[in-house]
Amino acid sequence: MKVLKLVPEKCTGCLRCELACSYMQTGAFQPAKSVIRVSPFEGHTSYAPYTCTQCAEGWCMTACPVGAITITAAGAKDVVDDRCVGCKLCTIACPYGTIFYDADTRKAFKCNLCGGAPACAEACPTAAIVYAEAETVDWLADFAVERSARLVAVGGR
Amino acid sequence: MSPTALASPETARRPHAETIPGGYTGTLLRVNLTTGKIWAQPWTPEEMRFYVGGVGLGAKILYDEVGPRVGWDHPDNRLILATGPLAGLPVWGTGGLTVVTRGALTNGATSTQANGFFGASLKFSGYDAIVIQGQAKNWVYLYINDDVVELRDARHLLGKDTWETQDALSAEHGLSGHQMSVYSIGPAGEHLVRFAAIQGDYGHVASKNGCGAVMGKKRLKAVCIVRGTRAIAAADPRGVIQAADDIAHDLKTDPSARSLYEWGTLPAVVGLYKMGVLPIKNYTTNLAPPDVNMADWEGPKLRAGFDHRGHQCSACGMHHCHMQVIRKGPHKGELVDEPEYEGWSGAGWAIGCTDREAVAWLNTRIDRACVDVNEFGWVCGWVMEGMEKGFFTKAQLGFELRWGDAEGANRLLDMISHRKGLGDLLAEGVKRAAEKFGGAAQDAAIYTLKGASPRGHDHRGRWDEMLDTCTASTGTLESGIPVHVTEVGLPARINPFNGEEVARQVAGILGRRHFEDSLGACIFTTRTRLENICRALSAATGWNYTVTESVSFGRRTAAILRAFNLRCGIGPEVEYPSKRYGSIPVDGPAKGQAVGEQWEKMVNTWYELVGYDRKTGKPKPETLKKLGLDRLVKDLWGKKR
Repeated sequence: MKVLKLVPEKCTGCLRCELACSYMQTGAFQPAKSVIRVSPFEGHTSYAPYTCTQCAEGWCMTACPVGAITITAAGAKDVVDDRCVGCKLCTIACPYGTIFYDADTRKAFKCNLCGGAPACAEACPTAAIVYAEAETVDWLADFAVERSARLVAVGGR
Repeated sequence: MSPTALASPETARRPHAETIPGGYTGTLLRVNLTTGKIWAQPWTPEEMRFYVGGVGLGAKILYDEVGPRVGWDHPDNRLILATGPLAGLPVWGTGGLTVVTRGALTNGATSTQANGFFGASLKFSGYDAIVIQGQAKNWVYLYINDDVVELRDARHLLGKDTWETQDALSAEHGLSGHQMSVYSIGPAGEHLVRFAAIQGDYGHVASKNGCGAVMGKKRLKAVCIVRGTRAIAAADPRGVIQAADDIAHDLKTDPSARSLYEWGTLPAVVGLYKMGVLPIKNYTTNLAPPDVNMADWEGPKLRAGFDHRGHQCSACGMHHCHMQVIRKGPHKGELVDEPEYEGWSGAGWAIGCTDREAVAWLNTRIDRACVDVNEFGWVCGWVMEGMEKGFFTKAQLGFELRWGDAEGANRLLDMISHRKGLGDLLAEGVKRAAEKFGGAAQDAAIYTLKGASPRGHDHRGRWDEMLDTCTASTGTLESGIPVHVTEVGLPARINPFNGEEVARQVAGILGRRHFEDSLGACIFTTRTRLENICRALSAATGWNYTVTESVSFGRRTAAILRAFNLRCGIGPEVEYPSKRYGSIPVDGPAKGQAVGEQWEKMVNTWYELVGYDRKTGKPKPETLKKLGLDRLVKDLWGKKR
């Protein structure tokens, strides 16, 4: 299955993916509603994007009491707005923190791979987000460990 | 980001009234520091089309609200921190900040830019610009978190440099990286150094005309913006994305932009050296010292070997803004901003320093103490030359300062930014300090009679920028390096040492930079055809914005700023280079080229072509009318016309 492969070393923290994603989610540019989010590491000197890995377990699906989360043709777990009652259980169940609650619509929302053409990957100027056939892994783990070690090495600055 | 790859999203839910064009929030944030009052002021779609944003909007507010008796240090002076309609959109490099104020160096109009995330953060908070007036009783910082806008006590931040200020505010709010933008002044701004700057998001500096001193005089230490949660709607979001892609394509492939895309401004060091335009040792030579191999200064070489981290501005794919870690020497391991060309020049070649680690270190010290790196180079280089030639002594300065001594330069920086000893006089800028000394000292100083400091080039080999710097009304050059000149009917190449051809080029491109600086974008990501930029603006706003309108808009803004300066008593009598600045290069590729011989003719031609009156400096009534500035005709020429 094609997944959003993240290459954190290439991210420069321009946050263009968040703009593209929010446009797909809402029709306007509003990073607060992006489902891909770029986090700072080492204070302000390293950045990496993160979003739903479409994990096999799908805890959000398991937790949803009304069956509002389905698997799309692109293989993404997606929220069916008509069914979602906004209970937020999925946001608690997800171990990665990649499913969100929108206070305006009162629904959960998450990455749905834009129906198979993810806007974030198209938007990234440095190919830090690639839509490709790959094994789903925790893209950030090694990166976070390395950057944290580097931070500690210079005395936490 | 190909629009064809995107499935059709739902129609944007417009958060604002239907009348407000896309790309705008429709709201200006007004702050009176004297009274502590903060209010939101709407502006109209007509005003948006006429003044666009950035320097266009700033020029209007400055002209309307700052009278001739309100000097740069008067509480009624306005500090306008404006962004523009493209900020926060996926067009590359659109986190732009334009600072407009009455500045400390010229005591006239200022337009100076920084990028980072200011524009994006501000727009997502719901504001197009911040207009600050008054003077706080105690030091404050402005905190913006969507609707929560407060003046907060900043006394605990005093004395901190700009990076420490951002570190402290980030820690206090528990927000790091781009979750919060902080634009602040350092010790130099607190001590009203006339070339103090405003720095933000670790390394982005609005540096010109002492805007940091204005902020310091207002006792405003920082502006701190939490990345907002509002939406920015575009009239045609897919059109914006498509225009952004076209611009990005240009930047990646066009010969005028490609090296910037790949290496930022680093290649300029060698490029300008080959033209005799790299300023070396305070304009005393244009040749590298014998032990320096210029091949080591090629763009890729300047970046190679450092632990290197991308530090891009909002939505930007250029490889221009970077951070790096010092590899060796006394400051090994220190995180610094990779010097931009102006840093390699002002913190390097202009002061005779060719140790790359030292330049990288000193450049960031300058950003942190927060002065303009250009003016610092001219001040420091001047003092170094004085030590060598004897018009400055060790007794005056308190220590020896030799060419290339970065540690000594940092000591001088500290004296200037805290106004200690001789630093108190040097803090007035090289022009005022030189005029005080007179004689050989004054003859060696690089400045314009207007007070604006030249960019980090040797303009004796680049007359277009010397003419531009001397005639501009922005506190720096106002037209800049012309790009895509053929688009506005100018020749692709000219003889750079023919004053008349140079004047035609500078006059012909007038207005383009003002337009770029009104969009909330960066001059490096607008190095594309105007047509592309206008298309992005049209898609964002829903206007049918043409190249003709953009040029007319830019010239209108230039005329307003000029009218402002004339009202402040700054006219053609000060549009000259200082003796050294306008001298003849003694060696290098531009050896013997005498700009002084052609100066009058060059300026006359420029005046004629831009439609300003040579004697008074005023834009002619017909010029003003053509630009839709009928009201300025009365202001400048009296009621009879």
